[in-house]
Amino acid sequence: MNGTPYTPQRHINDHYDIVGFISSGTYGRVYKAVCKRTPGSSQPTTQAKHPDGRNIEAFAIKKFKPDKEGELQYTGISQSAIREMALCTELSHPALIHLVEIILESKCIFMVFEYAEHDLLQIIHHHSLLPRTPIPASALRSCMYQIFSGLLYLHQNWVIHRDLKPANIMVTSSGAIKIGDLGLARLFYKPLHALFSGDKVVVTIWYRAPELLLGSRHYTPAIDLWAVGCIFAELLSLRPIFKGEEAKQDSKKAVPFQRNQMGKIGEILGLPKKVDWPLLPAMPEFPNLQTVNMHNPGVNRPIGLDKWYRNTIQNNNYGGPQSPPPDDSALDLLKKLLEYDPLKRLTAEQALKHPYFTGDGKLPSWNCFEGLETKYPPRKVSTEAHEIGTGSLPGTKRSGLPDDSLLRPPQKKMRDG
Amino acid sequence: MAANYWDSTQAKFWTFTKPELVDMRKDLEKANQQLYNKYPLPDRRLMSIYIQQQLTKLGRRMSLRQQALATAQVYIKRFYLRVEMRKTNPYLIMATAVYLACKMEECPQHIRLMLGEAARQWPELGVSESSKIGECEFALISQLSSRLICHHPYRSLTELSPIFGLSNEETQLAHSIINDSYNTDLILLYPPHVLAIVAVFLAVVLRPAGQPAGLQAHSTHASASQQSPTQASPTSATGFSPTVSSSAAQQAFLGGFSGLKQAGPKLSKLVDWLAESKVDMNAVVDATQEMVSLYDVWESYSERACKEGITKFVKDGGTAGSSGVGPK
Repeated sequence: MNGTPYTPQRHINDHYDIVGFISSGTYGRVYKAVCKRTPGSSQPTTQAKHPDGRNIEAFAIKKFKPDKEGELQYTGISQSAIREMALCTELSHPALIHLVEIILESKCIFMVFEYAEHDLLQIIHHHSLLPRTPIPASALRSCMYQIFSGLLYLHQNWVIHRDLKPANIMVTSSGAIKIGDLGLARLFYKPLHALFSGDKVVVTIWYRAPELLLGSRHYTPAIDLWAVGCIFAELLSLRPIFKGEEAKQDSKKAVPFQRNQMGKIGEILGLPKKVDWPLLPAMPEFPNLQTVNMHNPGVNRPIGLDKWYRNTIQNNNYGGPQSPPPDDSALDLLKKLLEYDPLKRLTAEQALKHPYFTGDGKLPSWNCFEGLETKYPPRKVSTEAHEIGTGSLPGTKRSGLPDDSLLRPPQKKMRDG
Repeated sequence: MAANYWDSTQAKFWTFTKPELVDMRKDLEKANQQLYNKYPLPDRRLMSIYIQQQLTKLGRRMSLRQQALATAQVYIKRFYLRVEMRKTNPYLIMATAVYLACKMEECPQHIRLMLGEAARQWPELGVSESSKIGECEFALISQLSSRLICHHPYRSLTELSPIFGLSNEETQLAHSIINDSYNTDLILLYPPHVLAIVAVFLAVVLRPAGQPAGLQAHSTHASASQQSPTQASPTSATGFSPTVSSSAAQQAFLGGFSGLKQAGPKLSKLVDWLAESKVDMNAVVDATQEMVSLYDVWESYSERACKEGITKFVKDGGTAGSSGVGPK
């Protein structure tokens, strides 16, 4: 069989019709698709079923490009693609994005997911358009409850997500939260190497936990809880709470200390202290922590989460019969998530039992849009590029294909708007 | 997935009954009758021993972890349930399984390094481009239906050792017995904790605390007991042998299950614990029998016979492997 070509069992174009292009990233591209229809008929030739029995109407197909641009050879599948394939195949939970199948064809990997119409980044963006409106308290509570449910499932299965942020949390048109993008996720049960040694940098900077910023080598699922705390704050204020600037890695040198990001956190929470976080002095970047206030004196007079919260509720037009503000227990939950010491930070299990969810005796709905009139715009799908392109030059940028920036304005611009 | 072995793809899709395994293999044989006639091979377990020893040698060259090698062996086992071995180049499958397993077990190796080391060890590999490993990786993942997370008995052993107060030596012996179990179908038949219990049982019976390794055979695995159990056993290139001799395993099996209470407190604790646990005792007994039977068949192992068997169909690859690793 040496030299015998690999023959795929299923072909992407035999089963799916590509509707359009959704987005692209370092991994490859995502397309929207529906089940293949026979020409002249509106009936799908095949029907994909969700394990719970319903038909799946639309799909998001993630196409991984080979490691090198325009590479015509098999180069070996990237470790992050392998992780995502293996974990998505293994895991199944209502609050996780559902993987329908994986097709390996033409040196490309196609991961076929159930389509979700929205994501939290879109929803935040929609509310930040003028006139600025707050995310209704009931929706917020439902979103958070579903996120924690999905996160508890991940952590119970020894998976740390490691890249939670609003863009990676999908929302279906029926208001179900779907945690997505497990490309950085990995198992943490007795890793063969320290988790640190594999991927030096994890979690998008704004959502990165303080122990990561301080160079901790043996981090834990608590990093996901910090990220969820940041997401919670962002859903409340419609802006990233700690919007730092990433210090870029210079050539092959060591990972730099993220002074600016640490400063942004310090402006609100104050810098961490040994009394609150006993293991703090053991952090590799602990000596650098003392330099943060020289660059950012704001950390000496932090505004504190209480004041941040009051300002946010006020500035975001919460109030009135239309949109009552969240219960005060929201602030308490936020404080316990944005806790410096990872050992004291709330776990997903504890968070689900927090009074914010259990207080009034009625658990949040699994439909975050329940009782709402707001209609969110559907995901933008560019129909210019129908081809998923299994044939020619996989992974190369083609002229006429929309770039990321056209579909999703750079985050900075969006936030200012 | 550790919390939920019962929800795992291994439990749901890659665990079979014995009759199911027999049927799958019969189907493969029926579909490839001519190849079977033309290229007879030694007992499947002996072929597994050959593959394991080859992987161990490669693992030693590359300082790979035992767990990655175990995962690679599981991939190979599953793959050959779906694809006839005589239609493949087992060396390419081995190299690819190790390459994939290393990524899955978070100790990735560069594809070119993998090719280089595999080619050096196996002149029969027959490929000189890393893209061939990349292509074979697609075939492998496709046959495995992307179900790549494996549950091994090693983790259960780590949990069981303190419960039964095993000495380091006993734990190491149990660890080596688990290594040996990959030469049977057990990982396709039973949950990993059952295999760990069998390994603990055999280890305790074979080496009661405080006694010299009386029942224990010429094991090279045991001589590695000072080594970290996560490293591939640094067995000498020529000195591969089973952890347990056939006769010792027989004795252990007969003795252990006929109420050999005098074997010491560890064994009686194990027996009591098993009686109270919900562990499937039939599975434990059957798996122990399979191990005893493995050590029996191991006595007839000949590396040369396995190697030559493979070489024949690999050499004739042009005719034998016309349909390659791709499905039909």
